[in-house]
Amino acid sequence: MSTHRATQDGSSSSQLTQRLRPLAAPLLAVLGALVLGALLMLVTGHDPLAAYRAMFEGALGGRKLANLMATLARATPIVGMGLAITIALRGGYLNLGGEGQLVLGGLTSALVALYLPLPGWLLLPVSLVGGAVAGAAWALLATGLDRVFRVPLLIGTLLLNYPARYLASYLVNHPLRDVASGMSQTHRVPEGVELAYLVPGTRLHVGALMVLALVLVATWVVRRTRVGYELRMTGLNPDFARYGGINTVRLGFGTMAISGSIAGLVGAMEVLGTHHRFIDNALTAPLYAWTGLMAALLAGSSPLGVLAAGLFFAAVHTGGFGMERGAQVPRELSRVLQALMILLIAARSRLLTPTHRDAPAEKASSS
Amino acid sequence: MVATSSEAPALELRGIVKRFPGVLANDHIDLAVAPGEIRALLGENGAGKTTLMRVLYGLYPPDDGEILLDGKAQRFRSPTDAIHAGIGMVHQHFMLFPSLTVAENVVYGREPQRWGLLDRTAAARQVAELAERYGLQVDPAARVADLPVGSRQRVEILKTLYRDARVLILDEPTAVLTPQERQGLFQILRELASQGKTVIFITHKLQEVMDLADHATVLRGGMVEATVAVADSSPEALCRHMVGRDLLPQLAKVPQATGESLLAVNNLVVLDNTGRRIVDQVSFEVRAGEIVGLAGVAGNGQSELVAAIAGLRSPAAGRILLNQDDVTATSIAARRQAGLAYIPEDRNRVGLALAASVADNLILTGRHNPTLTQRGVLSQAGIERYTTDLVERFDIKIASVREAVDHLSGGNRQKVVTARELAQEPLVLIAEQPTQGVDVGAAESIHHNLLAVRDQGRAVLLSSAESSEILALCDRILVMFEGRIVGELLAEELANDPAAEATIGLLAAGGEV
Repeated sequence: MSTHRATQDGSSSSQLTQRLRPLAAPLLAVLGALVLGALLMLVTGHDPLAAYRAMFEGALGGRKLANLMATLARATPIVGMGLAITIALRGGYLNLGGEGQLVLGGLTSALVALYLPLPGWLLLPVSLVGGAVAGAAWALLATGLDRVFRVPLLIGTLLLNYPARYLASYLVNHPLRDVASGMSQTHRVPEGVELAYLVPGTRLHVGALMVLALVLVATWVVRRTRVGYELRMTGLNPDFARYGGINTVRLGFGTMAISGSIAGLVGAMEVLGTHHRFIDNALTAPLYAWTGLMAALLAGSSPLGVLAAGLFFAAVHTGGFGMERGAQVPRELSRVLQALMILLIAARSRLLTPTHRDAPAEKASSS
Repeated sequence: MVATSSEAPALELRGIVKRFPGVLANDHIDLAVAPGEIRALLGENGAGKTTLMRVLYGLYPPDDGEILLDGKAQRFRSPTDAIHAGIGMVHQHFMLFPSLTVAENVVYGREPQRWGLLDRTAAARQVAELAERYGLQVDPAARVADLPVGSRQRVEILKTLYRDARVLILDEPTAVLTPQERQGLFQILRELASQGKTVIFITHKLQEVMDLADHATVLRGGMVEATVAVADSSPEALCRHMVGRDLLPQLAKVPQATGESLLAVNNLVVLDNTGRRIVDQVSFEVRAGEIVGLAGVAGNGQSELVAAIAGLRSPAAGRILLNQDDVTATSIAARRQAGLAYIPEDRNRVGLALAASVADNLILTGRHNPTLTQRGVLSQAGIERYTTDLVERFDIKIASVREAVDHLSGGNRQKVVTARELAQEPLVLIAEQPTQGVDVGAAESIHHNLLAVRDQGRAVLLSSAESSEILALCDRILVMFEGRIVGELLAEELANDPAAEATIGLLAAGGEV
């Protein structure tokens, strides 16, 4: 038994440390943030241990794990938006227009659900697809501006967020407003065009599974298909890709269309799964698009990394609420702590992604 | 050894060891160079030449061994120490301020001063005197940005002399020079040596060693393989030391009946960014079973011509026919589909995705093959087989096809590009500077690959700045000057002409034959 163990450990423990090494840095970062936060709370006269217990409970616990469900519900749009950005980033395209694509996707899905005369069972998929198409169209507009008028994609996508947001605002404040409700929102979508809840009594809806499926599909496409290969090569070196006969123009349009359609779909899912109508600012105020962008940048354009980062951001956020409720830590302080954690993680983010191993030998010997 | 007991070597290295994780780059290297000697340091890519010179220049501390100058032990903690001790280095990539004058560049860091400010007159005078003394022609008042490469190199040499260097190290100094500039450099180095300076130059070109050096030290695998007096040696002997085996005797170029036209270019015009005709009404064809060379001084339109044929640049006028089909307006993918392959000049920026694996780099051109993808899905097993087969066939030295390309030496990177382009059995291969910065062993294998394409009855267009390479491989040679083809030479007529290289050089410089 003992000899068996020894040989086992001898070979596998080093492998294990190799595998765990990339995790050491983010764990250290979280630890560092917790220590800094503890100091902050001691200075402001709060009990750090109680606060952290409340945070943990607030993110992952609760009666019947209600808080965990809240975390997952919040993670759904963040991961989805992160995935949208990541797909584009893989090909070297920076899509900063997630917000506009998200809003237009949500708005379109609500309008389809409200005004298209289709049978109920058909209305839900058509409404989701409508959202995706709207997001794709908005992303393609920015790509076309880049192609035809040389407006850099980064600027085009970013600036197109404003017309999208304000157009949606105008529509739900004026022509399409549900006046009776007294709010800036559309009418409620018909019953049967809602995404089902996964756990009754929580806000976690079927969209979470759809996002998870999208992450897995994206991972597979990027790693295992020819298009994924072409995307990766274009992202690493566009000149190389073009030289090899990859149609980088078509690839760019296609990638941006997919990126935008995922963003639009996320909007549709939030509208049909969470709000059941399009509410002004409901998709922009929680900063889903920007948190998703942060998750994508942090994850180094890996879809699975986005899943991890998105879950983390969501957990920190709901945990912050838990801290406010459970330990009476003021909201401002919990926000400071959240920002600290994210900042420290981001500082080491390059270690999250597979890094190149050092090669001094090559440098030394390339005469 | 030149160093006799009466005369201490100007520079001596004893038992230098330099390790990097996993690699012994320098393994107990001994080297002694006499004052006034020109020493060549030869070796393949990765033999440890550059590491050794970096140790000598204070860039890497040695793990073991000592450095002696004029018999006195030295310890360099930085290049500043080495410069102070009298060592000067001319890097492959020049370290000059393009916007400053020659004199300002030379005196930088040790300026003659007047009232605490740079004394320009004194600087210009000192630099002119120095240039005069060692026979380096250069105008101290000229702006470096306006100078050709050969003159910039002279500025680098002047910089070391201004700092009283007694030992000059030159890292592949001829890589960027034209044949004329190369002769000029050799004259300067001989003059320096005759005035007592010690010159060490790193190279992997055998002919230069024969032309210039007194002794040659050959490194292989981090060790000194041999130190020989050049007068008693031969290129073949040096090569054997360097590669560890004989090179195949001559490139066996069997005369071959040429077939139909596989690549034809008619009145092609390519404009540069300012609208100037960088390629001006060029017409030629390459037939099945021949290698056509494109010779000329860099910047006379060869790159643009090749880019237009490859589809990376659109021509303003004219036609390109591939296997007799007009491909002028077709995509790169369509041209590749029709049988075109292309080894580009800039392998690092165009020919490879450095951060990607060797496998990812090798499958670019074959990614539509059924062995590599089925219905758009990559076949892991197929990729593994396809790439390991190429690695074996083209003798690419790597640990695994999963390794990133940026870990490979220049020669191995070029083999990756060559392997990928030849894997598709192209009808027409365009090879642009295929052996630039590549050691003899790899260059030889690439040459054989090009000849094999020709011997299989396909066509090769070879653009190269090396006249010797063009002469060794090509059946016909086109010389370009200022965007036009100014001469066409037949290999058989040049075969026994000792002035062949000079003829090409003259045409390439705009002269008449």
